[in-house]
Amino acid sequence: MQVNGFSNMNQIGALAQQNHMDNLVGVNIRGWTNATQQDLLNFISRKTRISVRNSVVQGDTIVGYVTPQEADQLVKFSGYRFAGNTLKIQKAGGAGGNVSTNDTITVLRNVLMRRYNAQTKMLDLGNLFNDPELVQRGMAPKNVNTQSKMFPAMMKVASKEPNMVVESINLSDNNLRDVNGVTTLAQTFPRLKNLCLANNNISRFHSLEAWKNKFKDLRELLMMNNPITSDRLYRTEMLRIFPKLVILDNVVVRDEQKLLSIYSLPTQQTQFFFEDSGLASSSTDFVTNFLNLWDTNRMQLMGLYTPQSQFSISVDSSVPAATVPNAQTTPTFGYYLPFSRNISKISSDKTIQERIFMGPEAIYETFRSLPVSKHFLQEQPQAYSVQAWTFPQVNGFVITLHGHFDETAKPEMDKNKTQQNSSSSRGRRYNHGFMSSANTKLSQKSFDRTMVLVPNPNGSVIIASDALTIRPYCDGAWSNPVSPPATVQPPMVQPQQQQQPQQQQQPINIPLTQTPPNTGALGTTTLQLPPEVQAKLSPIQLELLQKLHVETKLNAEYTYMLAEQSMWNYDSAMQGFRNSVNNLPREAFV
Amino acid sequence: MNHQSQIVETFVKKVLAHLDEPDPAKLQQFLQLFNPQQCKIIFNSQPFGQAVQFLQAWQTQVVLTQHLVTAVDFHVIPGTGTLVCNVNCKVRFDESGKDKSGQDSTIPDAQGSTARPGSGSVNSATRARPIWGTYYGVSLQLVLEDRMFNNDMNGVISSMNYTIVFKPSDSLMNI
Repeated sequence: MQVNGFSNMNQIGALAQQNHMDNLVGVNIRGWTNATQQDLLNFISRKTRISVRNSVVQGDTIVGYVTPQEADQLVKFSGYRFAGNTLKIQKAGGAGGNVSTNDTITVLRNVLMRRYNAQTKMLDLGNLFNDPELVQRGMAPKNVNTQSKMFPAMMKVASKEPNMVVESINLSDNNLRDVNGVTTLAQTFPRLKNLCLANNNISRFHSLEAWKNKFKDLRELLMMNNPITSDRLYRTEMLRIFPKLVILDNVVVRDEQKLLSIYSLPTQQTQFFFEDSGLASSSTDFVTNFLNLWDTNRMQLMGLYTPQSQFSISVDSSVPAATVPNAQTTPTFGYYLPFSRNISKISSDKTIQERIFMGPEAIYETFRSLPVSKHFLQEQPQAYSVQAWTFPQVNGFVITLHGHFDETAKPEMDKNKTQQNSSSSRGRRYNHGFMSSANTKLSQKSFDRTMVLVPNPNGSVIIASDALTIRPYCDGAWSNPVSPPATVQPPMVQPQQQQQPQQQQQPINIPLTQTPPNTGALGTTTLQLPPEVQAKLSPIQLELLQKLHVETKLNAEYTYMLAEQSMWNYDSAMQGFRNSVNNLPREAFV
Repeated sequence: MNHQSQIVETFVKKVLAHLDEPDPAKLQQFLQLFNPQQCKIIFNSQPFGQAVQFLQAWQTQVVLTQHLVTAVDFHVIPGTGTLVCNVNCKVRFDESGKDKSGQDSTIPDAQGSTARPGSGSVNSATRARPIWGTYYGVSLQLVLEDRMFNNDMNGVISSMNYTIVFKPSDSLMNI
């Protein structure tokens, strides 16, 4: 017993030492040649309390190994006088170490590129044991240990190849007993569609558990010639681990139509809804101008509010799940909470009545008590979603805008301070520790703002009702995270696919096929819009279309789409055009 | 005036409870809340002409849901007999792979074995529990008639705008 334990201890010690050595970095020491190697090491040990291990003499340099922290200290020791000379100490890791790492990366990259087929979007990692390049470099996975290092490294290299689009991976003939060595596959290719694990030695369901709910788009799995396939529960378990698996070992196991309908909603989400095209242009105009003034001069907005207009804020302080992209985890609502009329949180009727602001004066006072903001409607139109529909009972319409803003400065007027001074409804005692600086830190916020607009006989509009919800910042659900390049650009990429659903819901009335034929010089100079479209546009919009048309040489239909996508802003339209010009089809141009 | 906010909040919770209802037999009760002549429904920026179309799509094409109110506010628009209600809530979906009637997409295998993961049954007594995914964020606007303050809920919804405003990356749903 004891002997056994002792020998185990020894093994663990040796392992620990081995592991320790793996983390050491090399140092090069020059300028020591007036003394012996041992003298130098003793000197360094005495002065720095660092022992240089496994040192060897290479010409005029002593190469030794220390931990990374020690290396940093030793380098500072460079320049010390020793035996009549100045010591020069450098980290070898900076030069020597990286060369071999870079070398490894190059090899792995070569292997990946050789085994990747861009046409079929397939990465063939089958039979890595016998890969000539890996064998030659001694990197071929011989046992579980080396394999578990090589594969994650290879996955890391793969994740840094933006041009490698992988839908299928072959991992057959790799002698895998479980997927522990290759589990990082799920991080590198979470959207993998096809996976082959055939001709391995996987025998237990438990070994696949690491991938449960990971490959959410995995459609096809091949596991032939693995002991696991003869298990009675094989099929059931695979269905459980891979929720969207349709084909298992060449057999259809799920009804794909049914599967798709279960995991989708009746309609695909889009960014905008306008009940008709007149509403489309007037509401985008309105929202753009409104937010512009909201950011720069809120006083200018007061003409839109009548004595019967109402405004209120409600704070939704519930924090989105951590898996919501870019969700704020510790939002602060210090400036908004004193106004929040969230009736699901507030029980006092008196407070609920006090926190609805009616008439321009009360509304303006509240506006001034909110942080100064900056919206990005023109710079990032894809970050906003708008719905506008008519509201017959008021002869007007409702606009709802979802998006985000930056808080750029503290409010002009601090409601909390004035309350403290004037000893109004909130007593002093409630303010104890309430307005700490952490509560009023400026940050990004997401919001939903719903306004009821009523046109005036004189052509302007008034805001009958204005309800603002403030919530923690996070990315909007309507933006598409699958293709990040597309979300950075204004939405002009692949105009045909993206436009069609929108064309259906907002009857823009530009017939796709009936665009007037543009002929010769006339076509490039004058934009020819269908009369029914032209009638709905303001002179400013027509001028913008004309200007865009001359600049871009786009045809009428695409010019209109570009203008609309850019919220009728010339600069962002041109920016959007430049970003997507290479993706536009030939027929988009005159 | 005093009880208006309570009535609005209760009504909002009622609408969301109807959305979370798995029993198709109760659809009729939900339909009664919508204005039968003219009702505008916008779901994720897509319009539905009639409430009945939307409710049927919701009943047959959307898995079991669970809504949780996080914020409610409302304005009574003077002289119009209407009020606008601005709601924020969270919603999560049953990601077990089964629809509202407990059917999943698994195809019985060659041996005719009915072995399905957590095999579902239409029989509600043996229905498997839903597997809730992560919460989505929802912004909901309702245009309502002020008859509701007199306890008249028939056809009071004249428009409804339901928009998912944030989505978790770990959900199996495609929206």
